[in-house]
Amino acid sequence: MLDEGVGNYAASSRFTSAEKIALRYSELMATDPQALDAAFYAELRSHYDEPQIVELGAFIGFNIGYHTFFGTLKFYPMFSPDGALVSQEESERLYGAAPVSLAGGSAD
Amino acid sequence: MPHVEPLRAEQIRDPELLALMARAEELGVPDALFTRILAHVPGHAKAFLNALLVSHSQGNVDHRLKEIIRIQLARFAGDAYFGALRSRKAMAAGLDEASIDAGCGDYDDDPRYSEAERVALRYADQMYLDPRKVDAAFYDEMKRHYSEAQIMELGGFIALHYGMQVFMRALDARPLGTVDA
Repeated sequence: MLDEGVGNYAASSRFTSAEKIALRYSELMATDPQALDAAFYAELRSHYDEPQIVELGAFIGFNIGYHTFFGTLKFYPMFSPDGALVSQEESERLYGAAPVSLAGGSAD
Repeated sequence: MPHVEPLRAEQIRDPELLALMARAEELGVPDALFTRILAHVPGHAKAFLNALLVSHSQGNVDHRLKEIIRIQLARFAGDAYFGALRSRKAMAAGLDEASIDAGCGDYDDDPRYSEAERVALRYADQMYLDPRKVDAAFYDEMKRHYSEAQIMELGGFIALHYGMQVFMRALDARPLGTVDA
């Protein structure tokens, strides 16, 4: 579900309309902020109240900033998906090249 | 107007948040609009405002350099809100608009910047333009000029401020006192 939410949320039947627009908010904040116009926020308000929109926006902005920074530091989770403590080299092998969800791989 | 209506000033009564807002007003960054928007979620407002203030105005990296980096990032993000604000502390310490413009532009050829300042400016602009270039060799170069603690101070500052610039850009916010605020 995590991977589908990242890559295929718009066409997926797993997500509600509210979830899809929150995912679109995140995507557009990073890739096309000009698309976040009054019409977009009006649609967002049909699912979320003002505090929720602020909560989402600040959370997304924070993550856009920090994920890029952390990516440059080349550090990886301390534990494997099954909970074992692993070295950074092993963790990079597990997570680095093609991250998949901790649920055990792709959503298929 | 930003896409989210800010709270009115009199709606903010939390003493801790008011104290943080007073610190921000003294510094000049951010102005009250950021907090009045974030105050829809008071816990977020306190956490983010405190983190912005600490990362910008405390630590062991020159505050003037961090102010140039902050504006460089805002211009890169296309964020009119944070890009228009200025740190009173940095300006009082001698920072001027010409130095800001130079730091946001062709700083590599500008004699007013030291090698250490140039690598910090490059750290910020490469972070979001081409993070693949911020690799082990780049960090080795950083370590010639900065301690591990200073590198974390710079990286955390860059990430947080860029993230909040992306947030305010998404809201199409402008500083208080401007026509569109």
